[in-house]
Parts: sequence; structure tokens; C-alpha cells
Amino acid sequence: MGGKAQDNMAEDLNWAVGGEAGDGIDSTGKIFAQALARAGRHVFTSKDFASRIRGGYTAYKIRTSVDKVQSVVDRLDILVALTQRTIDENLDELHEGSAIIYDGERSWDAEIPEEMTAVDVPLKSLAEEAGGAIMRNIVALGAACEITGFDVEYLDEALEKRFGGKGSKIVENNKEAARAGQEYVQENYDLDRLGYNIDTTDNDYVLLNGNEAIGMGALAAGCRFYAGYPITPATSIMEYLTERIEDYGGHVVQAEDELSAINMALGGARAGARAMTATSGAGIDLMTETFGLVATSETPLVIADVQRSGPSTGMPTKQEQGDLNMALYGGHGEVPRFVVAPTSITECFWKTVEAFNLAEKYQTPVFLVSDLAMSVTEQTFPPEAFDMDEVEIDRGKLVDEDEVDEWLDAQGHFRAHAVTEDGVSPRAIPGTTDAAHMSTGLEHDELGRRTEEEDERVHQVDKRNRKVETARENEDWDYREFGDPDADNLIISWGSNEGALIEALDYLKDDGIDVRVISVPYIFPRPDLTEEIEAAEETVVVECNATGQFADVIEHDVLTRVKRINKYTGVRFKADELADDISNKLAEEVPA
Amino acid sequence: MSSDVRFTDFKSDKQPTWCPGCGDFGTMNGMMKALANTGNDPDNTFVVAGIGCSGKIGTYMHSYALHGVHGRALPVGTGVKMARPDVEVMVAGGDGDGYSIGAGHFVHAVRRNVDMTYVVMDNRIYGLTKGQASPTSRSDFETSTTPEGPKQPPVNPLALALASGASFIAQSFSSDAMRHAEIVQEAIEHDGFGFVNVFSPCVTFNDVDTYDYFRDSLVDLEEEGHDPTDYEAAKEVILDADKEYQGVLYQDENSVPYHEQHGVTEDMSEIPDGAPEDAMDLVREFY
Ligand SMILES: Cc1ncc(C[n+]2csc(CCOP(=O)(O)OP(=O)(O)O)c2C)c(N)n1
Ligand code: SF4
Ligand SMILES: [Mg+2]
Repeated sequence: MGGKAQDNMAEDLNWAVGGEAGDGIDSTGKIFAQALARAGRHVFTSKDFASRIRGGYTAYKIRTSVDKVQSVVDRLDILVALTQRTIDENLDELHEGSAIIYDGERSWDAEIPEEMTAVDVPLKSLAEEAGGAIMRNIVALGAACEITGFDVEYLDEALEKRFGGKGSKIVENNKEAARAGQEYVQENYDLDRLGYNIDTTDNDYVLLNGNEAIGMGALAAGCRFYAGYPITPATSIMEYLTERIEDYGGHVVQAEDELSAINMALGGARAGARAMTATSGAGIDLMTETFGLVATSETPLVIADVQRSGPSTGMPTKQEQGDLNMALYGGHGEVPRFVVAPTSITECFWKTVEAFNLAEKYQTPVFLVSDLAMSVTEQTFPPEAFDMDEVEIDRGKLVDEDEVDEWLDAQGHFRAHAVTEDGVSPRAIPGTTDAAHMSTGLEHDELGRRTEEEDERVHQVDKRNRKVETARENEDWDYREFGDPDADNLIISWGSNEGALIEALDYLKDDGIDVRVISVPYIFPRPDLTEEIEAAEETVVVECNATGQFADVIEHDVLTRVKRINKYTGVRFKADELADDISNKLAEEVPA
Repeated sequence: MSSDVRFTDFKSDKQPTWCPGCGDFGTMNGMMKALANTGNDPDNTFVVAGIGCSGKIGTYMHSYALHGVHGRALPVGTGVKMARPDVEVMVAGGDGDGYSIGAGHFVHAVRRNVDMTYVVMDNRIYGLTKGQASPTSRSDFETSTTPEGPKQPPVNPLALALASGASFIAQSFSSDAMRHAEIVQEAIEHDGFGFVNVFSPCVTFNDVDTYDYFRDSLVDLEEEGHDPTDYEAAKEVILDADKEYQGVLYQDENSVPYHEQHGVTEDMSEIPDGAPEDAMDLVREFY
């Protein structure tokens, strides 16, 4: 091995497959990711894609290591390029030790920078020999195994998982295609000079994305009714639940629009089911119409917003954390609500479970704010990260027939909006004898009947707001913390930037910069960061939007100025890039 | 369900504030009778009311109820019925609520064929907002916002329902108390989406579509020997713009309600105290 090979001995390997949308890029990438997970390696994936179904560049990228990986970096080691554009789009990330697998027999003349290793494999011909051109991507995976010294048998396991349902013949053909790619490279290339090495472990990991984690969290939490309208990148929650919810006696309905979806979910919740809807972009605008009704009728509802780049149709397949203000303030009038923003894929699961409990305990809408980056990223975890025994269900003040009496007024009416000390009223669902009552979006009295009487109005507004205060006291609204707790530099983030920040810590440490990272999953109510910010010399708030919506909120809370790092290119933060941004930002003069 | 339910059990003790003589009184009475006659009681009934004078019905009736956002009553009713197939769901609202702001939901609720009842209190006017044109107003009907009339044909809600694949289409008149209650009862008993357009005159803002007008022009299909299961015959009466009909215009005898189509049978309000027993299988799927 020469010097160049030494450079490539990084602990992590960055691999990608790219081509035209419709080329099967996604499933090819996923198969390789699964093979790596089978080998006991950690995987963190990301996707570049255009929203058109066919046509347009798309890529599936994998970062893998025996250690936990939770961010993308600006480096690409092995690229399977089905088109020239795949190479061109990634020139910045490719380096002199990179290998590019391509099919020289295809019509384009690959232009591969000289310093990189071009691995020309007749993908299509080899696939045809193995049983069909459709398997050319699998041939490429076999070639990638050979280049990296990765045992092709792990790939076999992933192929069995992917194609097992289609019969053993298909599985065997695919395995053969993979071997054809592997052998071709073995015979035609001298690979020692690349020096990549994929170690394996005995660990068993599961591989899933944020939307799957939200869907799984919903099922674990007892969600039985989901109403939604398709929109990228929220649809996969609906698809996940559609495939599974009926096993638990539930149902998913595709509504005619988001106005309907949220109202259907509200109906399900009033009927007593744990219900949810999820959307993104313009869908959350339509749902805003009903936020106030959910809040004043005191209906427990989980509304997931998988943020994408806006405004309007914006960049529908791109990352952004632009909806924080909407989640906090959306809707006319004053709408009590909770806003929870999971900071990782495991947290997508746990915060979903928590959202259902908060919704029922406080009979309030809960916004579960995730984002595109998390929704499409697949990451490995030990299965215990989703330990179902840890799932707790708290249905709050749901009353049964025996308890109804306590809540009747002198005329025998059920006080569904009873003014209580903690603000929470009893909740009775249809079928509960003697508890029939109306709820409404009109201001109402304790019985749910319209009123414009001044005292009643004030009592009801106060009681609804008191629920938030009760929750503020009784629930855990803490932040997550990483890095050096005593560092002078404080970095604050919300939502999905956490992984990139954790990895940025290592880069910063190498440069002699110590930082304390606070990752906030609760936007409302949220932790008071006054002490933390006062203890720090410098505070930087990191988020994927242009105006610094969370930074504004923090400044307002703490009555001081903070520095800001805002990314709104449509691409999530990368660990190495973020480390640079942080060190530059820390060096900047304090804003006036 | 108790057998001794009387229709007055569905009445709340809140006095209606509708104008004296408003058609909504009769419409509501018929709904309450039909609910009682079909063996329902307030504790197993869910009424979803739209926004408008008509929408106040949620307050004046006694049952589980939601009075929600203008135009969205049907989706709420759909959600209630999905989660609780055991509950009787009745949705009620105005012509503006159902055929204007909620028109999209109407089309899809009709074709979804969820087993619930939809009563539209059609007064051919916006009552609550004090007299503007509604989607069923005549093209020459002068209002504050249409001084020379809307100059567009009114929506034919029955035809809209038929074109959307309805399984039950009926029309009644609030002041023909007996027939109205009977027709709503048939809608409740129908296996699927029972739609009834009810002429409920607004005595304050509509001096064209009055009690007298309906009394004079209404043709009862039962007396005409109309066969509602005959699609062609139904089409003819539904598209007949010259007459106002009362009765069941169309009923699909082979209607299969949504719940049956989709195997939705469970009471979704009941869930375990923790994650479902086999929930770790959901995790293992991702190996
Ligand atoms: C989103 C929205 N837009 C407008 C209104 C005002 N508004 C209340 S009722 C109504 C029309 C009611 O007409 P209809 O449904 O025919 O009921 P009616 O009062 O005639 O019974 C309107 C426009 C509203 N409540 N919400
Ligand atoms: S305004 Fe018309 S619809 Fe409204 S209550 Fe009076 S009569 Fe009835
Ligand atoms: Mg009207």
C-alpha cells in the first residue's frame, strides 16, 4: 500500500449510487445499506433527489463505520455512477482516492478526473448474462464489494430480504449478478492501491428512517386512526401505517385534502381513538384552519409536520426548518398547543409516543415537527433503542360510566369543559352513559354551549392556558446536551441538526475549540436557557432556515443577542462543514 | 340502547334562537324523531353540525356533538364513524356549508359511502351572515352581494350526489313533518351514506323560496309511484329542473358501506396500557 492508500484508511466510508430518477437508485442504495447493517456496521444515509418521478439526477448516499455515524460529511469515497451528471454533481466531494464505478459500454463517455480511480464494469452486459439488464445496479454493488473488500455474502442477505417475496429464482439471479460484478473487478483491477477496508462486527442493527420511526411510534402508542393527504415528505408515514395499522384494529383513510384530513382525525379523536395526521408544506397551511377548533374543543390530536423547503411549493424535496413560527403561532386567535421537535430518528419514535400522551393528558393539539432530512435518512440502531416495554400510555382524564356522576351539574349535564385547578376537564367519549355533550369552536361554557358572557369567556381561556402551565410544571421539557459542559462556547440547535453537531464536536476539538451543545426537542413549552446562555461567552444558534426563527425565540426568552448559523440551501448541515461554520462564527465580532 | 327513548330526549334544554317560523325547527324535529324511531339514544349518537343558522342544531339537540369549522362537518363525521362503527353519526348543515365551502368534502363523502346520515338544511340563502346568495340560490335572486342575482345556475345537489356515485339521495320539506321524519329515517336505515336535502325556508332573508312556494310546487314521489332503485327513473327526476320533488329519489339496493368494503369493524377507542404485545416485531422488521 502506498501513501495514497493510507489516506483512505479513514474509519468511515462514504459510498453513493446515483443516476436518473427512475433508475432504481433508492432500492439499490437501500440494499447496500442493509448489507452493511447485516455486517454489524453503522450506516447513515442521505438522498439527493429531484421531485420528478422520472428524469433528473438522484443519488443515495451511505456513510458507514463500525462506530455510530449520525451525519453526512463532504467526502465521497466510492461512487456508482449511472450517468455523467452523477459524477459532475459530486465533484466537490470526490477526492484523489475515490473510486468511480461506471459502465463504459453505455453511450456516454465518462469524464472522470485523472487522479481518481475509474472502474469500468460492463454492468448491463454482465446483468444480462445473469438473467436480465434490470440487475445492472446489483452488478455494481458486487463490484463495490470487491473494491472495498466487503464480503459479498452480506449482500446476499440483503438481496434475500429485498427479493425473497418474489421467489428464489429472482434471489439467485441477483446473487449471481452481484458475483459477476465482484469477479469482473477482481479479474481486471489491481485493488490493493485503494486500501479501503470494511470491518465487520457481530452486532445486529435495525435500519430505518425518521418517518418509519414516527409511524412505529404511533402504533406503539396505540394510534388507531390516521387521516392524511399525500405530500412529500410526509407520505411515507401514511404508507407505513397503511401497511400495518389494520393488524392492530385501526385504519388509515386518504382524505380529499388536508382540510378534510385534520377534521377526520379530529372526529376520530372525539370518538375516543388515538388519532393523528401528518403533512408538510402547503398541507400544514390548510390544516391551520382547524388548529383553533382542536384547541377549543379540547380534542387530543397529534399533527405531524415533516417540514420541507417553502414558502409556497418551494423546493418540495429539499430540507428546511422553516415552519417553527407556524407551529408556534399558526392559526387566528390564541391557540394553546404543544410543539415537540424530535432531534434524531430514535427520538422520532419516542417523541411520537410522548406526543400521544401529552395530547390525551392535556386534551390539546400536539405538533410533532420533524423534517425532510430526518424523513429520508436511514440510520442503524440496536433494536433496544426502540424497547417497546418502555412505552407508557397515559390517557389522562378519560372517564368511564362510574366516574361520570362526579362531573354532572345540578341538572345532570356533563361538564366536558369543567373549569378545574389544573385546567384539565374530564373527557367522555360516545357510548358513555349520561355524558352526552357538545363541543364547539365557539367560546362556550362548562357544558360546551355557546357563550359570550365575559366571565365565562375569561374562565375558559384561562383554563385552556392553565393546561399548558400545568404541563410546564409536571412534564419534562429538558434539553439534550453534548460536548464539554464547561465550555465557554455554547451551540444551541433544534430538530434534526443534532447528529451533525455531535460529529462536528470532533472536528472542533481537533482545532482546539471546545463547545457545549444544547439540542432542544421541546419548542413549546421549552426549557429556559437563561442560565446556560449567561454562563457562556458566546452563543450560536444553528438552524436550517434563513431568518433564524429559533434564535429569535431564544433572544426573546433570554433578552440577549445570540449569533446565528443559518443554512437554507435546501441541504442539511454536514458535520465537517458545520464545524467550519462554527469556528468562523465564534471568531466573528459580537453583533452590535 | 334503551327502547323507551322518546324523541324529546334528543332535545337540549337550550331554547333555539332561530327566527320564529324558521324551517330549521321542523328539520330538527324530524331528525330527532327519526333518531328515536331507529332505536338510538343520545349517548350512542354523534351529531356533527356545520356553521350557519342551521349549524346551531348541535346546540339545540342533545347527544354527543361537535360544532366545528364552516364546511368541514362531513370529514368530522367520517372520522367519528371510522373510529366508532357502533356510534350513530348524523351530520347536519346549511346549503352554503355543504355545497359551497364544503363542496369538495360533499363529493368525496358521497363516494366514500360511509354509513352515516347527512341532512342539508337548504334555504337557498346564507342565513347567518344575513342574506347573501348561496350555491342553491336562483340565478335572478337579488341579495346584498348579488344585486342583480348571481347570474349563474344554482347547484343541483341531487345531481351532484348522483354524479359522485351516491347510494342514497332524498329530499324533504321541513314543514311536511311526517314525511320529512320518514325520509330521514330511511336515510338512517340505509346501509351507506344517506343524503337528504331538506327544504328549510328562511323566513327572514328569502322571500322567493317560501313555505307557500314549496307547498304549491312540491311533488311527492311516493304518490307518483317512483321506484328509487331504478337508476334511469332516478336520473330523470333528479335532472328535472321544472319540479321540486319530495321523497327518496335514488337508492342503491346493493350499496356496500365503507366499513364493509374496508373491513373496519373495531371500536378504536380501546387500546392496551402499553405498546401492543407483539410490538417488538415492528422493530425486527427493520433488520
Ligand atoms: C371560513 C369561514 N368563512 C366565512 C364564515 C362566515 N359564515 C358563517 S355561516 C356562513 C354561511 C352560512 O350559510 P349556510 O351554510 O347556507 O347556512 P344557513 O345560515 O343558511 O343555515 C358564512 C359565510 C365562516 N364562519 N367561516
Ligand atoms: S335568518 Fe333565516 S335561516 Fe336564520 S334563523 Fe332566521 S329564518 Fe332561520
Ligand atoms: Mg343556507
